[in-house]
Amino acid sequence: MRAERLELAARGGDFRIDKDRPSPEWIASLRRRFVTETEIDRVLTRKMQRRSGPGFAPLKLETLVQGVDSLIRSQFSGDFQITDARWLSGGASKLQMAFRLHWQRPGVGADVTPMVLRMEPAESIVETSRLREFQLIKAFEGVVPVPPVFWCDAEGEHLPHPALVYGFAEGVAKPTSGVGGVTGIGTQLPVALRAKLAPQFVDHLAKIHTFDFSGKDLSAFDKPSVGTTQCALWGVNWWERVWEEDSDEDIPLVRLCAAWLRENPPLLDRAVIVHSDYRLGNFLFTEHDTRISAWLDWELGRIGDRHQDIAWTTSTAFGHLAEDGKTFLTCGLLPEQAFLEAYEQRSGLKVDPRAVHWYKVYNSYTMATLLFATGYRIAHNGKTHQDVLVTWLMGIGYMLLDEMRELIEGAP
Amino acid sequence: MQMRAPLQIQSIIKAMTDVVLPAIDPDNKLAQEQARLVLGSLALIAKQLPLQYRYDCDELARLEAFCQSLQSLAQGGTETTGALAALALELREAGVQSASPEEIEQRVRNLRQLSGAVITAVYVDGSSAARKDVRAAVLAMSKEQVLRDRSWVLSQGWEGDPKSIPPIEQLLGIAADVPASV
Repeated sequence: MRAERLELAARGGDFRIDKDRPSPEWIASLRRRFVTETEIDRVLTRKMQRRSGPGFAPLKLETLVQGVDSLIRSQFSGDFQITDARWLSGGASKLQMAFRLHWQRPGVGADVTPMVLRMEPAESIVETSRLREFQLIKAFEGVVPVPPVFWCDAEGEHLPHPALVYGFAEGVAKPTSGVGGVTGIGTQLPVALRAKLAPQFVDHLAKIHTFDFSGKDLSAFDKPSVGTTQCALWGVNWWERVWEEDSDEDIPLVRLCAAWLRENPPLLDRAVIVHSDYRLGNFLFTEHDTRISAWLDWELGRIGDRHQDIAWTTSTAFGHLAEDGKTFLTCGLLPEQAFLEAYEQRSGLKVDPRAVHWYKVYNSYTMATLLFATGYRIAHNGKTHQDVLVTWLMGIGYMLLDEMRELIEGAP
Repeated sequence: MQMRAPLQIQSIIKAMTDVVLPAIDPDNKLAQEQARLVLGSLALIAKQLPLQYRYDCDELARLEAFCQSLQSLAQGGTETTGALAALALELREAGVQSASPEEIEQRVRNLRQLSGAVITAVYVDGSSAARKDVRAAVLAMSKEQVLRDRSWVLSQGWEGDPKSIPPIEQLLGIAADVPASV
């Protein structure tokens, strides 16, 4: 009977589950019901096992400096010194500290390297694996611009929570004289600037999707089977599990969305690396030469379907109308049709509109889950360093829900 | 009672604007950003608070009508039958009349969850005709609700074309010259 009740709870029919203090039995029932990649399962299970623990406590810079010192010492045998530690803002999911490392840099010699510590709060608006992020960025060094990544504290052995240490990438996410909101959403670029950035934007996406990753260490990733719906269903299971774990107030439209996704999954025609958050605001560019200098935020990356990225990048949330008031610009850079044509030409890969449509619905489901379910749960439990931002961002979710509704209504 | 939330919120906003924000270290970007978010959130609360009860009553009335329609549209096997039975039980409970704001909110939450369970169940063991009907009903109900949700947060500034969203007072049927907290 207990097992049946737990299964019922997983389907949203039981009010009695205490999600702030989840039982081992309920966690196990969710794991059985929503099969996904091994590392995703591990990270989500860890989140639930730690949920009843303390919220995020303000940290002193000195604590993080000591943690970074310990992390580097565990993997680097030379002398070094950490200086100029300071907080960074930006992004809604991770806590960031900039610092300088004085060291004998391998292959370089004596160097003062600007670096960034990127550490999870007690529970993040997007719970992901630092190991996956580390492996993915390492894999793409020399392929597309990425920040150098140095060390990974995958389990928080040295720092209060799991973390990565990056090299500080040069550049800006939006023009220093431009308009933009938190997380880069709402940024509008001048015509001349977007004309220079757009070709690089398309070219890098094509390079990511055609990258041969077979020789790279991507041990934290599972590869879905081509010719099946496994990739699509792993994704739905991932986010429906998060919805069940984190949501408070239910949303009938979100229930319909999950059911619709399960009814219509596309077949995977080619397994590629998917960035999963490829948009304006997630790359840096240097203003003096207008070159994209680093692609950021790889934490949701997976081996999957290229249509996921295409659907995400062309979301209305990340673009705006051109000066004519009619032409919608993908990520504020170029018209959607021009983007798709350039992508096909540069990658040699076809874009299937039906698969793009499914992934647009999928992406809207992901966003609804993060904003309404996880956003609520982590702020409710005081789990982050910026609960006020997480709560504020919930407001954008209603516009995205309307997009979800229109997408399901207009499904081919 | 003179000491009410609107006055307190107004005073907090003034203190934050005049005293606290200028005193924050300009190099502490996180603190600068969060102070502005505190101000924005307080302004939003000041706008929403007097309308909250009307907003919840409005949602509940439409949600009840939607759930009634599900009773006839959703047909299927044991999953659907079980979910419908739980929804029917909830619908028989007391209506909006004389309910407190807390009861209204709880009832909205219950109907959201129970109708959600029916939707999931129909896609497990309902016929394709039932799925189609339920899908149409959910989309129609959501169109009305999400429009109100978008209007509710309009002042946050997310909308690309804010003029296309009617004011929340209009959507809730509140005349401009009538106090909202009736």
